Amino acid sequence: MQQEPAEILNLFKKSEELVEMLRKGRAFTEELMCENERLRYRVVQLEAEHMNPPEMVTKEVERLRIENSQMAQKLDFLNGKFQQVEAENKDFAQRYVEVEEQNESLANLYVASHRLHSTLDSSEVVECIKEILLNMIGSEDFGLYVVDDESGELMRSGYEGETASGPAKERITLGEGPEGFVALAGHPFFSEGLDEGPCACVPLMIKERVVGVIAIYTLLSHKKGLSVLDHKLLELLAGHAASALISSKLYSMADRKLRTIEGFMNLLRVPQGGTNV
Amino acid sequence: MSNKSLLVVDDSATMRQLLCMTLTRVDGITEANITEASDGEEALEKVRSGNFDLVLTDIRMPRMDGLEFIRSVRSELNDQALPIIIISTKGADEDVRTGMNLGASGYLSKPISMSQLKQMVANFLG
Repeated sequence: MQQEPAEILNLFKKSEELVEMLRKGRAFTEELMCENERLRYRVVQLEAEHMNPPEMVTKEVERLRIENSQMAQKLDFLNGKFQQVEAENKDFAQRYVEVEEQNESLANLYVASHRLHSTLDSSEVVECIKEILLNMIGSEDFGLYVVDDESGELMRSGYEGETASGPAKERITLGEGPEGFVALAGHPFFSEGLDEGPCACVPLMIKERVVGVIAIYTLLSHKKGLSVLDHKLLELLAGHAASALISSKLYSMADRKLRTIEGFMNLLRVPQGGTNV
Repeated sequence: MSNKSLLVVDDSATMRQLLCMTLTRVDGITEANITEASDGEEALEKVRSGNFDLVLTDIRMPRMDGLEFIRSVRSELNDQALPIIIISTKGADEDVRTGMNLGASGYLSKPISMSQLKQMVANFLG
C-alpha cells in the first residue's frame, strides 16, 4: 500500500517532537542529577562540620556560653537588688503613712493647745474642750469633770450626749466608778470592746495633782475605735486642758478679788463734801 | 492653684483653725487664699460679694445652717458650679443625704482625716 506523503510528513513531525521531548527530558534529568550531587556533597560537608566544628565556631560558642553565664549572674544580682528596693519602698511607704498620721496629730494638738490657751474665760475653755473632743477625737457622748476643792468630788463642768447628761454623772465621788477611780489613781483608762462604761477616761493633771477627768462614753458611729495615736493625743490634750482650766479658774478668782479690792478702795475714797472714814 | 480662693464655714473657731491649717498644706494654697465665716448667713454674704473656687461648710450652725446655705447658693444665687463640701458630724446621716440632694458636691465626716481633706480639695481645685 502506498502511504500518502502528508502522512509521512506527519509521522516525521511527530518523531521530531518525540526526539525533542526526549532531549529536553534528558537535559532535565542531567540537571536534576547535578543538583542531587551538589546537595549530597553539601550534606556530607555539613555532617563533617557538625562532627568537627571549626575552631572559630567552637570559640564563639564558648564565648557565648560564658557571656550567658555572666548575664544569668547579673540577672540574679539585679533581681535581688530589685526585691531589696521593693522591700525598702514598702517600708518607706509605711513610715510615710505613720509620719503623716503623727503630723496630723501634731497639727490637731497645736490647734487644740492654741485654742485652749487663747482664753482665760472658764466657760470658753470648757466649750473649747468640748469642741476638741467632738471634732478631733470623734466623741459623741462625753463628760468633763473638775475636782471641787471643797467637797473633793468630781463635778460635771461640760458634757455632750445621753450618758454624760444623766443625773448620776452630775457629781462623782473619788474612787467611785471609772471616772472616780481614774481621778484617784491619776492614770488614764482605755477600754477596748467593753459594752458598759466609758471607752476612755483620762485624768487632767497639773504636775502630780489631778484637777479633773475627761470621760468618753461613746464615739461617733463611723469612728470604729480609738487608735494608739488617739490615746496619745488625748493624754497630751488632757495636760493642756488641765492648765487651761486652772489658769482660767485662777484668773477668775484673781479678777474677783481685784474687783472686790477696787470696790473697797472706791468706798474709801473721799466723796464730794463728805468725810474720810 | 495659687490663684484659688476658698471659703471655710464653721461656728467652731477650733474647727476653722484646723481646716485652715490643713488647707495651707495643699500645694499652692496659703492663708491669703482662705476666707472664714462663722455661720451660713455670713458665708452667703461672702459668696454673694466674692468669687470662690471651693466652699467647705459645717451643717449645724446658728443663724443659718449649712443646708440652708447650700439651698440659697443653688437657688437664690443660682450658682450650680461652685463646689461645696459638707463637713458632717455624723457619717451617712440624714443631713448629709439632704445636703447632697440640695446640691453639695461631697462630704467629709468628723473627725476629719486630713489626708482625705487634702485629697478632696486637690481633686476639686484641679
